[in-house]
Amino acid sequence: MKPKLTRRAILRSSSATIALPFLESFGFRRFAGAAAAAVPPKRMIWLGMGFGVTADKWFPKLEETGADYTFPSILKPLERHRRDITFIQHLMHRHSQDGHSGSTFWLTGANRYAMPGQSFHNTISVDQLAAETLGQDTRFTSIQLGARGNSNSGGDGHGPGLSLAWSRQGKPVSGLNTPVEAFHRLFSDESTPLAERQARLAQQRSVLDTVMTDASSVRRKLSQSDSEKLDEYFQSVREIEVRLSKEEQWLGVEKKQPNPPVTEPSESLLGYEEMGVMVDLMIAAMQVDASRVFTYRMPVDTMIASLGAGISAHTMSHYSHGERRDVSEMRDLHNAKFLARFIDRLKESTEADGSSLYDHTSLTMGTNLFSVHTLKNCPTLITGGGAGFEHGRHLVMPNEKTPLCNLWLSQLRGSGIAAETFGDSTGVIEELVEA
Amino acid sequence: MMNLSLFKPALVGACFSRAATGMACLLLASFTTSAATVPDTDVVMPERHFDILDRHCLDCHDSFTAEAGVNLEELSFSIAESIETAERWSKVLDAINSGEMPPKTKPPIDEKAKLEFLRDLSERMVLARSILSDSGGEITLRRLNRREYANTVEAILGLRPDTSLLPDDRASAEYDTEGASLFFSSDQLEQYLATAKSALELALLSKPPGDSEIRRFEPEDTYVPLYAELAREQLDRADRYYGWLAAGGTDDLAKDFGYLDGWQAERQLNSFHVGYPPLQKWLSAPENRTGAALMITIKNGFTKMKLPQLRAWQPGRYVIRVRAAAYEEDPVRFRYLEFARTDGTNTTRLGWRKVTAPLRKPETIEFEIDHAPGLDATYQIQKRSHMDRGDKNLESDYRKVNKTGTPWGIWVDWYEIEGPLPVDKISEIAWLRDSSPPKDGSESQLARELLERFALEAFRGEQPNPEYLDKLTARFEHHRRQGMKWLDALIEPLAIILSSPTFLYLVESGEGDSETLSDLELANRLAYFLWSAPPDPELLDLARAGKLADPVELRRQTDRLLSDERSDRFVRSFVYQWLEMSRLGMFAFAGRDFPTFDNAVRDAAAEEIYQTFAMLLHERLPLQNLLESDFVVVNDLLADYYGIAGVEGHHWRKVAIGPDSPRGGLLGSAAVSAMGSDGQRSSPVERGVWVLRKLLNDPPPPAPPNVPMLSRLEGEILPVRELQRAHQEDAQCAQCHQKIDPIGYGMENLNPAGLWREMEVITGRKQAVLGEFPIDPAGMFGDEQAFEDFFGLRREIAEEIDSFAYGMSEALISYGLGRHFGFTDHDLAEEMISGAAESQYAIADFVHALIQSETFRSR
Repeated sequence: MKPKLTRRAILRSSSATIALPFLESFGFRRFAGAAAAAVPPKRMIWLGMGFGVTADKWFPKLEETGADYTFPSILKPLERHRRDITFIQHLMHRHSQDGHSGSTFWLTGANRYAMPGQSFHNTISVDQLAAETLGQDTRFTSIQLGARGNSNSGGDGHGPGLSLAWSRQGKPVSGLNTPVEAFHRLFSDESTPLAERQARLAQQRSVLDTVMTDASSVRRKLSQSDSEKLDEYFQSVREIEVRLSKEEQWLGVEKKQPNPPVTEPSESLLGYEEMGVMVDLMIAAMQVDASRVFTYRMPVDTMIASLGAGISAHTMSHYSHGERRDVSEMRDLHNAKFLARFIDRLKESTEADGSSLYDHTSLTMGTNLFSVHTLKNCPTLITGGGAGFEHGRHLVMPNEKTPLCNLWLSQLRGSGIAAETFGDSTGVIEELVEA
Repeated sequence: MMNLSLFKPALVGACFSRAATGMACLLLASFTTSAATVPDTDVVMPERHFDILDRHCLDCHDSFTAEAGVNLEELSFSIAESIETAERWSKVLDAINSGEMPPKTKPPIDEKAKLEFLRDLSERMVLARSILSDSGGEITLRRLNRREYANTVEAILGLRPDTSLLPDDRASAEYDTEGASLFFSSDQLEQYLATAKSALELALLSKPPGDSEIRRFEPEDTYVPLYAELAREQLDRADRYYGWLAAGGTDDLAKDFGYLDGWQAERQLNSFHVGYPPLQKWLSAPENRTGAALMITIKNGFTKMKLPQLRAWQPGRYVIRVRAAAYEEDPVRFRYLEFARTDGTNTTRLGWRKVTAPLRKPETIEFEIDHAPGLDATYQIQKRSHMDRGDKNLESDYRKVNKTGTPWGIWVDWYEIEGPLPVDKISEIAWLRDSSPPKDGSESQLARELLERFALEAFRGEQPNPEYLDKLTARFEHHRRQGMKWLDALIEPLAIILSSPTFLYLVESGEGDSETLSDLELANRLAYFLWSAPPDPELLDLARAGKLADPVELRRQTDRLLSDERSDRFVRSFVYQWLEMSRLGMFAFAGRDFPTFDNAVRDAAAEEIYQTFAMLLHERLPLQNLLESDFVVVNDLLADYYGIAGVEGHHWRKVAIGPDSPRGGLLGSAAVSAMGSDGQRSSPVERGVWVLRKLLNDPPPPAPPNVPMLSRLEGEILPVRELQRAHQEDAQCAQCHQKIDPIGYGMENLNPAGLWREMEVITGRKQAVLGEFPIDPAGMFGDEQAFEDFFGLRREIAEEIDSFAYGMSEALISYGLGRHFGFTDHDLAEEMISGAAESQYAIADFVHALIQSETFRSR
């Protein structure tokens, strides 16, 4: 059978089994990392850009599809990887209405107004769904990265949320917003003795038990609908409990250090430089298999400031001629440079079997906003061999309103996750596996 | 302008089937009968539009073919019947609006019929959304939002917690009080625990403030040596340049004079010409030997009066004093001192003070600051700043004219800081902080009592359950066993109380089995509505005595709460959200285009709106003043900006204005003008839509998604009115824009920053004038009322006071009840309006009517 057909079959099948690394039985000495894995694990990464792009320059020409398209000049630094990336046009979320939210619904496709009497509603994001499978055996089920200040209202065009990720209940999941924070979470080992850490977990449980006592007495007083609202509180407690259990499982296992080791980043990193360090941390985390699912809510305001712009990101996003457009193009160029370096690093990092991280990773850079307030044709760049896609092409979907969730579904299935549907998906994008 | 019958929905179902024409006729016949009894403006699509669907849609989108998965055959004409039905209609609207349907290969819809169809459908979609988002009068259990949380913790601990860890609740709903939309994320519980813990540590463990002290600084001590050194460097550059030139001026020789090559030498000479004259002027001014004039240079920024690191200082109140004088010939904008706080990355501007004394007789300006506990920040005094790069751009523009840059405006003799000043407020938490463990071994007993007292306060009068108190006490005992000190061991259980649901949520279970709120619950609802904070002891005592539900007492308490300074929180958060003032901060205004619309004016423009609303509220003035008024509420800074003479002092006050002034009322305020622009040009559409939504309570349907922006991307230099004529050309755009755009054109005499103009000037790079066009403000208001200019438009809008009052009632209901205004609230809004009619719509009477209503007093 030709490999292409196999990939296609996997993509089509919602019941495909996943090639998971060998699982040690519980209680046996655990090893963190890919070393124990027979097959290098699948990984998934999403990079959210917030505000939209300089639309007339960012996209390849609509009429030039396939492999022979003119590479957009403002994305020049990415051209050296053109065989390994795919541009897809005409993907969108049909429910998205909010012209200032580039990330809130980007990975979910939810309808903000789906619940009567409620002005905000969201659903699980694709990364969290992927993490339910891919994150079972890593210390961190998923890693959410962000930037200082990008949650400020209006700030970076990401919209409401604490990171790109939304939980199964559609509630925001918080992120690590500085390289220092990310570094410590991923690589710092605590010096406190094991017994003490075990005791601390027990104490944290006791705190949860105490608040639950009050929560239960409140619930007795409530009507049905109020009680549903209070469920969010109960859910929050449950999620912390799940995390504590996972922490407990990993309690005796030291955090694996990458080789060469990463050093603690500077506190003052901001903007473009900070983005580069976040890439290094993600690569290092993948090398030691600390997590297999990553999202990064990229900085915009501090990024353009670090490149010398004298205007805010929101001012920039209204691309009138002159300085605003110049800054926007500069931002696009540097995002391309950032992604190009990310791909370099993925390719140069080898797995135990000699393949590279790139071969097993599925990476997307994009946003829900096209340009200004427009929400159709979401800018989307994909790369990596993880989902079995044929790269090197410019795809223009025949239907201008192809659900972006079709891409998320394709990536899930391509990465071996048995998903029937995702969000408002209507199917997979078969063009991705056709040469 | 508003048709109130819109709010009496009658959900009449109708569907049509192509399968049997006879059947369809039958259905339509029955539909027609019911339609006769229902007003035209119902959420039922008028029957006449069936034709369009039948002729243009059903060929492909019937149940048999259902092309693209769209089947319109079973589509109910009752749009608001369900979310699914509304969504399908919304798809129909988008598809026809965008021209996507019918496809180009099929016959087009007749223009006139299409226009009517689109108008009817888009109007009904607005109504359908309002009906579908109706909560049926239900008020969902509400979590304290971030503001309320901070105020509540402050009321208990006497200090404001740092809430930067918590989500900003303003992002997810129209009002941050809307319970249904206030989510609780998976990490939030831990954030509450951490936030409470650090606030408690500051409140219980920090040392009491030390003695007050005064430290004075002479700015010349810093700036004379600094500027002298910079000037010397500049002179040295020039000396070496001219030496090099005299020696022959070749590239090879440049190294002998400390330059890499000739090119660098030339550049450094240029730097001398730019940098030296301002320094030289400053250094040769005699007053700068005993003080410092406020200069700005491209390279070194502002002359800043930096106050010492307050980190080492105690939290509390401080007074900053500045001995200063003004250069009276300089533009007034530069004669204000700006006081700011900075933590290294973020600068918060705290206020501005005008300096009027002449150089020969300086004055002392005082400015008070409250330094919050745990805050790591420093303070500084400087010139008034502009946004983004404005200061530097203006500096180079000035330099081109006068060689020495931006006028100084102010000279500072000395400045000092005194504090922390004794505050007469007793610490709310002293009873706990001053407690100590008893020696007789009963400390667990005492700890339990203290925790109970704290919980009772934190739970706003609700008794904590004994098992909960046992567990809290066990937490304390555990920490004591671990060797913690008395207060330290209490901190975690106290933080747990401040993270428990009874504290975080406004729990309303009603009196017994009834829907009526208990007195205690009513006290809470009242206090959070008007103070965004918990009830004070007086309110709690009344509630416990069962007296609050008495209408007379309730009225008295409402008045008391409104006259308390804490009602300022209601004014600010309500007005900010109601009028969508977040828009004011969305765009930066370039210094070159709007030299006087700086940070200070932008802040003052927002403040004008709050102050005006507060004045109407407290002085019981007619609401009409927000639409048209013979006075404006300003301070010195905003009066200077508006060009109103004779306003001295930074306090806000009423100033009479003539009928020929555009000020007075929201329409002519700088804030509203600026909110309807993008920092470069005014947007008649944004302005028109804002007026329709906020002043006339006649919200236009939302723009169909994905409409391209009309902007100068086309590269044409056109007046804004011409640029938007495309709105009128296209039938589907015209249906809404013929109502929106003329209002915006009527406001065109106010530039993007709210200053009066006769001409629209379009500039490009480097301020090159690309086009100049006289403004034509005339237009039609509604269908028949013509207006000549801004004043005519303002008059027309002012006539619509009833619609405006209705809109404000809606907003108060949404904000005060914590749920989205729905059609079930129509009667309540009417009650509020009639309740306020006698006082010519005094705002306080709307508030009274809402609070006295059955709805406000039920859960």
